[in-house]
Amino acid sequence: MYPAVIEDYVAPRTLNEALQAFGQFGAAETLCIAGGMSLMQAVKSRLVRPKRLIDLQHVADLKGVRTGSDGISIGAMTRYVDLAAETKLHGAYQALNDAAIHVGDRQVRNRGTIGGSLCWNFLAACCPPVTLALGATLELARTDGRGGRQTRSLAAESFLKAPLETARAPDEILLAIKLPSPPKNAGSAYQKWGLVTDALPVIGVAVYVELDASGTCQNARIAIGGLASGPRRAATAENALVGARATDSDKIAAALARASQEIQVQADLWADQEYRRFLIRDLGQQVAKIAFQRAQGG
Amino acid sequence: MGKNIALSVNGERFEEQVPIRMLLADFLRDQLALTGTHIGCTYEGVCGACTVHVDGEAVKSCLMLAVQCDGRSVTTIEGLAKNGQLTALQQAFNDHHALQCGFCTAGILMNATEFLAKNKNPSEDDIRQALVGNLCRCTGYSHIVEAIKDAAAKMR
Repeated sequence: MYPAVIEDYVAPRTLNEALQAFGQFGAAETLCIAGGMSLMQAVKSRLVRPKRLIDLQHVADLKGVRTGSDGISIGAMTRYVDLAAETKLHGAYQALNDAAIHVGDRQVRNRGTIGGSLCWNFLAACCPPVTLALGATLELARTDGRGGRQTRSLAAESFLKAPLETARAPDEILLAIKLPSPPKNAGSAYQKWGLVTDALPVIGVAVYVELDASGTCQNARIAIGGLASGPRRAATAENALVGARATDSDKIAAALARASQEIQVQADLWADQEYRRFLIRDLGQQVAKIAFQRAQGG
Repeated sequence: MGKNIALSVNGERFEEQVPIRMLLADFLRDQLALTGTHIGCTYEGVCGACTVHVDGEAVKSCLMLAVQCDGRSVTTIEGLAKNGQLTALQQAFNDHHALQCGFCTAGILMNATEFLAKNKNPSEDDIRQALVGNLCRCTGYSHIVEAIKDAAAKMR
């Protein structure tokens, strides 16, 4: 496995330089490289053959987690190793920590980024279902052709499509993943199951809950990863979780049983359909319980 | 389709012209003759034998292009021992017979060196977790884990 010829490579220092590079190159056969942990594999196996690469590793504006009055903004080039240690996400958005800690291995976490994962939207990636469950908004930019930039925001749900497909236009760069200021009594969690430790997930389940002061669930989002259709929310199960409390094991189990039925699962070498349904149910219950605990400050 | 890059490798400055598509692993091995960095899985990014440090952090050099290291500092297995003096971790690998064929060892040493720099007092679980990205087909890992544990204790 060796890359095909690449004609040009630039490593811009600022976002404007990066956007302008697209302007100069044209979007066809130009790809951005974030951490490159998926893209390099695809380039080497020649699944993609970019003629030009725009390397985003030095664009400081795209890195780091910032909190402000309008919520939390995670730069697209924030690496897993940094996301894993990010305490600002604890509680409401801790599912992102859960995902980042177990992506690939140490070497991959030192390079791989949340934005790269979302833009690649691999079938067995962890960040796509987690972003769905957290109700994130994705901010994208492209050059306006006059030295400035056009930005737009998309809900994770509209951004993430089938595996390896997103709503990102070829000349757009994902800037940040935006989360609202964490509501009181909100918690989230994510777990995956794979064939070996930290393997790509056969199934991954992310659960987000908002509780009222008495600890009753008012709002829930459940998202499943590892699906041939791309990451999916389980709407019926979400509704079934509303009204549940952390101690309502039966209610939580019933909600996740619904999730396992309403989601279309595939059979492959790693797991048949029945086992995938079992994983959604079983893993999902554990994840939901952790999300409830975190929502209660546990 | 070539680019000039300037980088530091094991403390030495290099200015080289490289094809853009050249992987960092091949640059180190073929252009700088640093063949201690091994290719175990035909560049699939799964075996970890090609692990090196870029700016002090463990990365798989088959998953990076050499051009991406322009301006950066790379350390390979050849850069660990100074003046023939093994590091505590290298010595521990020797003491605990933590290698058999040795093909994976360079990558494991590079990964574990950075791991120990960040984790002074790791549990056995932490160590095993840290080795997920490095495949060893001879040892069964037990001696490797023992060696890393011992090195951690000696470095404290």
